[in-house]
Amino acid sequence: MLEWIPRGLRGGRVTTRYPHREEAAPPGYRGRVALLNDAGAERGLATVCPTGAIALDAQRRLTLDRGRCILCGACVAAEPERFAFESRYQTAARSRSALIAGGPDGAGGVEPARRALGERAAALRRSIHVRHIDCGSDGSEEWEIQALWNPHYDIQRLGFFLTAAPRHADVLLVTGPVTSAMRLPLERTWEVMPEPKALVAVGTDACSGGLSAAGSLSAGGVDAVLGVDVYVPGSPPAPIAIMHGLLLATGLLGAAEVSA
Amino acid sequence: MSAGGGGAVGAPGELTGSLAQRLGAAVEPGPPGELRLRVGAGEFDSAVRTLREVGARFVSILSADTPERALVAVFALHGELVVLRAPGGAPDGTIGSWWPAVRWAEQELVERCSGDGGGAGGYGRRLTAPDADLLDRRVDGLDVFTIPYGPVRSGVFEAIQFQIETGGEDVPRIQTRPFFKHRGMEQRFAGLTPDAGVHVAERVAGVASVAYASAFSQAVERALGVAAPPRAERWRAVYAELERIACHLDVIAKQAEAAALYVGQARFGILKEQVMRLRATLTGSRFGRGVITPGGVRFEGAMELDELLLALAGLERELRRDRRLFLATASMTDRLIGSGRLPRTLVEDHSAVGPLARGSGLSTDARHERPYGDYLRLGLRVVTHREGDAMARVNVRFGELSESLRILRQSIDHLRRPAGELAVALPADGAGAAFGWAEAPQGELVIWVEIRDGLIHRVHVASPSLRNWALFDHAFPDDVLTDFAFIEHSFGLSVAGADR
Repeated sequence: MLEWIPRGLRGGRVTTRYPHREEAAPPGYRGRVALLNDAGAERGLATVCPTGAIALDAQRRLTLDRGRCILCGACVAAEPERFAFESRYQTAARSRSALIAGGPDGAGGVEPARRALGERAAALRRSIHVRHIDCGSDGSEEWEIQALWNPHYDIQRLGFFLTAAPRHADVLLVTGPVTSAMRLPLERTWEVMPEPKALVAVGTDACSGGLSAAGSLSAGGVDAVLGVDVYVPGSPPAPIAIMHGLLLATGLLGAAEVSA
Repeated sequence: MSAGGGGAVGAPGELTGSLAQRLGAAVEPGPPGELRLRVGAGEFDSAVRTLREVGARFVSILSADTPERALVAVFALHGELVVLRAPGGAPDGTIGSWWPAVRWAEQELVERCSGDGGGAGGYGRRLTAPDADLLDRRVDGLDVFTIPYGPVRSGVFEAIQFQIETGGEDVPRIQTRPFFKHRGMEQRFAGLTPDAGVHVAERVAGVASVAYASAFSQAVERALGVAAPPRAERWRAVYAELERIACHLDVIAKQAEAAALYVGQARFGILKEQVMRLRATLTGSRFGRGVITPGGVRFEGAMELDELLLALAGLERELRRDRRLFLATASMTDRLIGSGRLPRTLVEDHSAVGPLARGSGLSTDARHERPYGDYLRLGLRVVTHREGDAMARVNVRFGELSESLRILRQSIDHLRRPAGELAVALPADGAGAAFGWAEAPQGELVIWVEIRDGLIHRVHVASPSLRNWALFDHAFPDDVLTDFAFIEHSFGLSVAGADR
């Protein structure tokens, strides 16, 4: 038993310095898709995307909805001069429209968080309790959320704790497109959480239904059921992306650090 | 531990002839490794009964559309898949009453065929439309109460419900209720090209993306009569073994967490994170997604082979030390030894697969029974333990971690040969239907794919998790409520894969 102590000390610090320092993703990491050129696209380009994330308007200008993107790379393979993978972790945004790239207005504006948790975060600082609910994810998002409490990410150092009771929770992490059987449990969980509270949709499935939105079997995204404060797209999003989302939801990242 | 052997593998011709004769079935042509037998609608049940008698392991039951609408049951027998087909679409729902392995798969099929309004056959409560509030108590007695645990559970876990009937300590009855997460993934495949369909396959059970992508791709390749180039198969094996390592480390870390062995949890968490990062560097995805495609792989792993070997050597060194400490920590192993004991006969009756079956002495492993891809060239030692308890299941995983690392070294060595083709093109308007399989970290995964005019028509997923979850109801013979977490983690299953 005692032997575990030197074992734990071995290897020194592995914990990321994020958010105080940027955490770089490995080269070639498929964090999100960049829209390099949105003008004059072919009509058929929208059909390349299996989740309908690519749209063209009447002027044939492209928009890319990152809330729908599952990072499959079909568009990058079809039109490498228009689409490219970006090796980055931070992908969260405080509104659905901020996830849409391209189009007449350029990048969508960043809306202020709807709820008051951000403003109250100063009082809650160093003690924010997080609850998770699975509403039909593929299981990978759960791994990445669990990873936040491993030594590499150790989100506890920023004052985030997991709680078993929704009545003690300040932030709800929701994964999955909200299947019909999980709709009521989700609504109940949210209802019993005390104010102020924030809801973070984790993963493309939770943001928009992604690939798993099949007809009447799911709501096709959390925001069809409840208001969402922060969207973390990705299939699945990396732990740093989820951390980014949590920091945004609790107002611990300033507006200047918000990178949408 | 014992070296595995799936029993004597008879000559295929011999098996085909005698089995078909015994079942009174007509032999239909099929791709290699599939013995397709057709019987009359009235002979289906008795043929299933005969297959059980000759020792076939049940895999799944489904309704197929190719070549015509038919009820199909699949079994594993002597290194082949036996595919039994009878005209009609819906089962009558009685096989499960005498063969527990068939029960959930059959009930699911009956309920899906009958639609929302229909009854649930002879089973009573609906399996596929779970209601979190519906309690059904069976155990009588003073002080016995029911704990509905889930679908919202403490901690970060997938949604599933366990109804635990207990007097506080003993668990006289436990009922597992899946399907809260049913997303209709099988329907999602319809109309997609095989190339796009693989993205759906990767998201059926996210933690086993590589296994699902491989089994799906293999089914497509078999249906269309093409083969992935050897180099693609090597990369698939590399990604599959990395996935197995990540999943097994996850199970072991969760066991340490359940025993409040936090340094152990942190150590195995660090090792798992190293594997995730290795995969991110190799493939651009922490889950190895977006690489495997029907016909081959999309690109080479983005790492020098020496660098990859070095990373694996480091992982192995650390793993060996952590494993030794884990197994020497009595407060850890005491919780595992004797917990959740599953006798071999019970496991056989449920046709369970994966580390769970191997922990009860069954040497079943798809990589060994029906070698596919690179496993035809790689020697595999099937790790089994006989005790059948949570400790045996953890020991199987420790053994498989070493075996996976050995296979990885071998595969990486093969990859040193000059680069060849990475993928073959699929015929544009191809048609066909076949099974594909892979040994996922949770157990044997089998996927049925039908293709028409180059597009996917129908897919059926026989997930290892659905077959193994059914055994959870029997996993508390002499155990108390506080053993729950250890037993659950020792199963190491995916809910998303079971619910689909």
